[in-house]
Amino acid sequence: MKKILEIRGLSKVHGHKCPLCCDFTGPKHDTNICRHCNSIVAIHDISLDLYEGEILGIMGESGSGKSSIVKTIFFDEIPTDGDALFFDNNEQYSLFTINAARQRWLRNHRFGMVYQSPHLGLNFSISAGGNIAERLLMSDLFHYGDIRKRALELLSRTEVPSERMDQSPGKFSGGMQQRVQIAKALATRPPLLLLDEVTSGLDLSVQARILDLILEIQRDLGTAMIVVTHDLGVVRLLTGRTIVLKNGRIVEHGLTDQVLEDPQDAYTQQLVASAL
Amino acid sequence: MNPILKVERLSKHFLLHMRGVRVPSCDGVNLEVHSGRLTALTGPTGSGKSSVLKCIYRTYLPSAGQILFRNGNEDIVDMASASEHTVLELRRRDIAFVTQFLHCLPRKSALDVVAAPLYDQGVSQKRGRDCAAELLSRLSVPERLWDLPPATFSGGEKQRVNLARGLIARPRLLLLDEPTASLDPLTSERVVQLINHMKSEGMAMLAIFHHPELVAKLADNVIKLASPSDGNLAPEASL
Ligand SMILES: [Zn+2]
Repeated sequence: MKKILEIRGLSKVHGHKCPLCCDFTGPKHDTNICRHCNSIVAIHDISLDLYEGEILGIMGESGSGKSSIVKTIFFDEIPTDGDALFFDNNEQYSLFTINAARQRWLRNHRFGMVYQSPHLGLNFSISAGGNIAERLLMSDLFHYGDIRKRALELLSRTEVPSERMDQSPGKFSGGMQQRVQIAKALATRPPLLLLDEVTSGLDLSVQARILDLILEIQRDLGTAMIVVTHDLGVVRLLTGRTIVLKNGRIVEHGLTDQVLEDPQDAYTQQLVASAL
Repeated sequence: MNPILKVERLSKHFLLHMRGVRVPSCDGVNLEVHSGRLTALTGPTGSGKSSVLKCIYRTYLPSAGQILFRNGNEDIVDMASASEHTVLELRRRDIAFVTQFLHCLPRKSALDVVAAPLYDQGVSQKRGRDCAAELLSRLSVPERLWDLPPATFSGGEKQRVNLARGLIARPRLLLLDEPTASLDPLTSERVVQLINHMKSEGMAMLAIFHHPELVAKLADNVIKLASPSDGNLAPEASL
């Protein structure tokens, strides 16, 4: 198996940042707000590896910083510190040191992101098909007919009925909005897909359909994924390995079944016990 | 012949931080499993039989000891300390675990649930489903159920789906935790036949059986675990 992503020492601090920030935040202090300068240490010293075709879970409660990890990878946020290497065919990109144009290219072509809020991932002022076309236009398709055909394929792949293609996703149910987001993210066949709490707030049956779809995509396209969630059930169903985050730090990592059945850290034990 | 699996002085205890207790599970377990043979684990409730299997599969992190697995390249891998990716790779190719419980997605048909390990190896859906159908019919799972999600099946049907899924990719080592606990005598006999067939093809097995007569019928050797020494809670009861 080949490594696709390598992250080392990733940190993100919101605020001025003082020399004491890192020493006075984290699980030991049960906070990520520095009491000396009021900066928020969203994540600190995060390292992880992702291999081709695998699904890695990042599990934590709200405020644990789990979304910050994928947002920095997708260039939605600028990290305070750390390195990230993305291995793509024979190319290698140092994500935080390449120029903005290069970053934009990776974001549009090689990475896909599905947000918890469809408002972040979709443009409600254009149709569902238009949302996908937007992303396809940034790739190598230029012909209107080709784009429409490919958009239709993608929507059918994610089980969005073809007659909804020309409607605004604003009119869709929550589940269908997420499926349009997934179709859009997949438009350029990215080798890396980032999923940030994509089933939160949806009914269980709607959730199940989306989780199923995600697994099918992984199976059929071999897409590597990072799944951010607070939901232990989602982690259990989707992921092979899991990282547990608290107050912006990794407190535990391991094979997902091991983390859930034999958690080592006191915090993970509490998290698992409270979900039973 | 070299064993495919050699467990040496395996111990497992749980540290429950919230309650500040240490719960022993199994202690100083030694065993060997050979290709084409079935080793049965026996012992009273609480002797940690299931924990041994879970440690071998790395669902539990062993507290002490070695779990030496000989992979297809004749390399020895210690499952107790191997990297996460090494363990995932071994689970994909070499080691399968059949438990009493089946976790699967609500929309997947029995055929796809059974074929999933083949899909993970890149086998096509057509071929995967054919193999799954063959195993399900050998295990007398009625054909009308094949396209339905196993969530709605009876306990015995689920168990056979689970067993078929464990066998389908022909793992080199199969771990079985009470695979026949809720089967009637006739179906149980089908399972016995299939297990014997897989043994004859060289599959190594380590199994816990609910019924002593299955141990007598299937086991080539038996490892008996002692009852827990200090009368502590079994981990299942306390977690
Ligand atoms: Zn500070």
